[in-house]
Amino acid sequence: MFKKILIANRGEIACRVIKTARKMGIKTVAVYSEADRDARHVELADEAVCIGPAASKESYLMMDKIIAACKQTDAEAVHPGYGFLSENAEFSRRLEAEGIIFIGPKHESIAAMGDKIASKNLALKAKVNVIPGYNKAIDTPEQAVEIAKDIGYPVMIKASAGGGGKGLRVAYNDQEAHEGFTSCTTEAKNAFGDDRVFIEKFIEEPRHIEIQLIGDAHGNMVYLWERECSIQRRHQKVIEEAPSPFLDAATRKAMGEQAVALAKAVNYQSAGTVEFVVGGKDKGFYFLEMNTRLQVEHPVTEMITGLDLVELMIRVAAGEKLPMTQEQVRLDGWAMECRINAEDPFRGFLPSTGRLVKFMPPPEVPGAVRVDTGVAEGGEISMYYDSMIAKLIVHAGTRDAAIARMRDALNRFVIRGVSSNIAFQAALMQHPRFVSGHFNTGLIAEEYPHGFDAADVPHDDPAMLVAVAAAMNRQFLKRNATIAGQMRGHEFQPGSDFVVLIGKEKYEVKVTATSPREEGWDVYFAGQQYAVRSHWQFGKPLYIGTINGEPMCMQVERRGLVYRLFHWGVQADVQVMSARTAELHALMPMKSAPDMSKFLLSPMPGLLTQIAVTEGQEVKAGEILAKIEAMKMENVLKAERDCVVEKLLATPGESLAVDQPIIAFK
Amino acid sequence: MHDIINQLDTKRARAALGGGQKRIDAQHAKGKLTARERIDLLLDEGTFEEWDMFKEHRCVDFGMADEHVPGDGVVIGYGTINGRMVFVFSQDFTVFGGALSEAHAEKICKVMDKAIQVGAPIIGINDSGGARIQEGVAALGGYAEVFQRNVMASGVIPQISMIMGPCAGGAVYSPAMTDFIFMVKDSSYMFVTGPEVVKTVTHEEVTAEELGGAVTHTTRSGVADRAFDNDVDALQMMRRFFNYMPLNNKANPPARPTDDPADRLDYSLDTLVPDSPNKPYDIKELIFKMVDDTDFFEIQPDHAKNIVVGFARMEGDAVGIVANQPMVLAGCLDIRSSIKAARFVRFCDAFNIPVITLVDVPGFMPGTAQEYGGIIKHGAKLLYAYAECTVPKVTLITRKAYGGAYDVMASKHLRGDVNFAWPSAEIAVMGPKGAVEIIFRDEKNDPVKVAAREAEYKAKFANPFVAGARGFIDDVIMPHETRKRICRSLAMLKNKKIENPWRKHGNIPL
Repeated sequence: MFKKILIANRGEIACRVIKTARKMGIKTVAVYSEADRDARHVELADEAVCIGPAASKESYLMMDKIIAACKQTDAEAVHPGYGFLSENAEFSRRLEAEGIIFIGPKHESIAAMGDKIASKNLALKAKVNVIPGYNKAIDTPEQAVEIAKDIGYPVMIKASAGGGGKGLRVAYNDQEAHEGFTSCTTEAKNAFGDDRVFIEKFIEEPRHIEIQLIGDAHGNMVYLWERECSIQRRHQKVIEEAPSPFLDAATRKAMGEQAVALAKAVNYQSAGTVEFVVGGKDKGFYFLEMNTRLQVEHPVTEMITGLDLVELMIRVAAGEKLPMTQEQVRLDGWAMECRINAEDPFRGFLPSTGRLVKFMPPPEVPGAVRVDTGVAEGGEISMYYDSMIAKLIVHAGTRDAAIARMRDALNRFVIRGVSSNIAFQAALMQHPRFVSGHFNTGLIAEEYPHGFDAADVPHDDPAMLVAVAAAMNRQFLKRNATIAGQMRGHEFQPGSDFVVLIGKEKYEVKVTATSPREEGWDVYFAGQQYAVRSHWQFGKPLYIGTINGEPMCMQVERRGLVYRLFHWGVQADVQVMSARTAELHALMPMKSAPDMSKFLLSPMPGLLTQIAVTEGQEVKAGEILAKIEAMKMENVLKAERDCVVEKLLATPGESLAVDQPIIAFK
Repeated sequence: MHDIINQLDTKRARAALGGGQKRIDAQHAKGKLTARERIDLLLDEGTFEEWDMFKEHRCVDFGMADEHVPGDGVVIGYGTINGRMVFVFSQDFTVFGGALSEAHAEKICKVMDKAIQVGAPIIGINDSGGARIQEGVAALGGYAEVFQRNVMASGVIPQISMIMGPCAGGAVYSPAMTDFIFMVKDSSYMFVTGPEVVKTVTHEEVTAEELGGAVTHTTRSGVADRAFDNDVDALQMMRRFFNYMPLNNKANPPARPTDDPADRLDYSLDTLVPDSPNKPYDIKELIFKMVDDTDFFEIQPDHAKNIVVGFARMEGDAVGIVANQPMVLAGCLDIRSSIKAARFVRFCDAFNIPVITLVDVPGFMPGTAQEYGGIIKHGAKLLYAYAECTVPKVTLITRKAYGGAYDVMASKHLRGDVNFAWPSAEIAVMGPKGAVEIIFRDEKNDPVKVAAREAEYKAKFANPFVAGARGFIDDVIMPHETRKRICRSLAMLKNKKIENPWRKHGNIPL
């Protein structure tokens, strides 16, 4: 076994590899860019080598520097993680030439699978299903119908030069194929000046399901079941699970065996993944591509098989045999992974950078809750790298139990300072389509066509919010009663009757203290009693306890007069006041937020580098209005519609806050 | 006897209605509460003791002889906020537009006098059209009587003003002399002369809100300390704010037990100060993570943001916090921030509230605007305030402490009791670049030499050790132990006593 390995990566995956290496008694070397000087993977590794400036091109992608770092530290092998150089055949080849072992497949395997056409031909040869289609130019509608019949309906007729949905037709029968061909060629000719079209099988309700496999240098290979990765946003995976709620045992076996056949065809000797598109109507599955690396979502496979994929990768790279046969691979329960990204779901998923003022992931529970992360509280999220800052993985006996566990874990995940997609993940976890398991890769685009909005997440049980806010408020009042300097004999009495306001909803509640043995409050409203029990302390972001004996965890924050509660993806601003205060509060005018549609607002904090328009200027939609530099990145702000500039409200060189007005329009 | 009791009930009911239901409705329609409703929300329920409910004006001119409303446009008395005594006057806009008469002023003076005698704070709720013109000089005299008492009460009991309607002309000077001013957005304004006069004299067109609204005074002028969306919010926040107010200048700052451990460590603070000396960070993160329960009541949050001031608690005891804010103008001191902090430090000193000073200051702001504006005298106010201050003073230098600004920010030399520095502290006359340009003027055209000199200067001064060697820094502490070390320092200083020499009063550079 190796004595020392180098991890040519950063972030959560570097930390995750270091963890396994440490468990195996292998020393680790981290490499880092100047921006990652204080990163967690650097801290966790036994040694660390700086390999250049922040930009990946000049650091994590520099083979020379990584090889030099290996030599400098006497590392015998390199784990590449995912991304960066992980699927770079040249890197693997160069390491081999230097006598350093690449913990991954042979460079020939990487190269073979790296080419779309070559891999498809390999798949055909290995008798793996590929999407049926006809790739040569088609001359007549009659010919098109013949081809469509051969492939089997439905088919997709697509312009060779097409894109963005233009020059694309779906046909379910001969007539549609005939018409589709004609209109498609015409449209293609007009739009692209190129009337060539091709035809392929149209996959209805496509799902993205992939097979994890691992092989050794002794000709052994097993598949480790599938991962369902259909929940995607703009082709980026958001939630992954294993097993898939869609596959039956027979399909699973067929997919697994085809994946192994393909991998064997390229003498594959590491962990790899074969991606398939699966028709949601007919369970037909077709090869897409093979990823010759460890994948982001590998933990869900680890959870259901009880295996450590990184350990297996290291062992097979060191020449060991796989410790199990296909029959010995377990499939226990259900695992799910949510990718936690530094992005703002309420602002079109714009990446969010900055300091992690608070970062408190839920506590890990072996076999149930796992958190893979490369950041820590006080760390900096820079714009140089991927926005994924953590992976939250849960495991339970059934899919429903896994969802429940994930919802609870998301409740406990506190991130402040940068925005995160936790609310969005929580919303998906309770979305009926996700819960039912009947979904395809279009779910997010179909359900959130205009982006994600707070109104998209109704709370299952608003009474919980009322009860917790009322109890918290009463605890604050109780503390007020302990202040020194009160008039003797006329001390403050907190009272028990309150009004809770959530938006326009008003709840009259009564709050009483429980027996001194229990910490908590009994909240009564609408004829119900809510026994709220918690050891919550002022200033703590998590309100952990029970309501009527049911465990719950809410994120809480007192902001001025408002209690901001986060639970199950809902962010609720709650006010609690005395009856008299509520009565007078009702007289107060509703102050609606000023209409900002006539302003260009800064979408992020940054430096205003340029204003491209002048006062009084007419601007057409799409024209550049201003440029903002944030974290060394230039962001161009363009006009969303035709407008006239009324007034410039900021000057170049000015530091802008988020939402600060830059230009007023007429 | 029965008759009298019946009469009393009638009179009370009459007084409670103020200017009548129609005017009350008009007040509500403007989004404002009435004088009595405001007191209801400000004080603990049922604790208000009203005085002078039946007092009336004595004016007979201009038809006033027949116009009498019991109470004469102001409600006075005392009660408690969280059990702690407070005196209150609340002007009633429904009665003669809240205009101040001689009798009205007498009522205000009555509670002020009593507040000073018994040593309890006073809160004034202002909602008045100004002097009652019909009374002429009698009303003006009334104002001056109030002003005189404001001055006598200053530094003896906390005086707080809430502006919840018009407050114009001479009326502004009473709140101006109180310790803190809260305003309500869109329904309150303060100015010496209104938009009409402004237009005639300077030809400026300006609305009342732009000229003297809550936003104007909490961002531009710095006259007011906080702005709130409506009356209810303002009054509820005032109750919270009152928890930091000592009863008087002989009382201790109000203690309130806390569960937040004094020895709580926070390792995320170790990365708060960025590697690059020119990169900003938010000093409020340190404040929130250092104080009890992450609870910080900021004063003037939107004015002179390059300095942060406000109240918090450490181990349950109220403290004042003054901190340079590197996020705004690099945290430098300028006219506005000096005045803002100086006034705050003086309040803390007058009322025995310890001051924690967090220093990251590159110096005073340069420029003609500052010099012509008198930065010399205004900067000196902060220096004077810190030097005069005898309450416990704990100072922590997080990064830069350059030049005269180092001296000003509660340095050892200004009787700082405990002066800490983080390892990232740089205490020097100026930054390396400027210093090298002056000391090694001859070498300024040789970039290699300049770089070497800068490195040399940096090695010597970009650390807390030079100051430590002289005892100007008592200890270098790790950021994560900041709360623990400051709590211990404050506990040690609890019975600190020093006195300044007797004098009638000092002569702060006004």
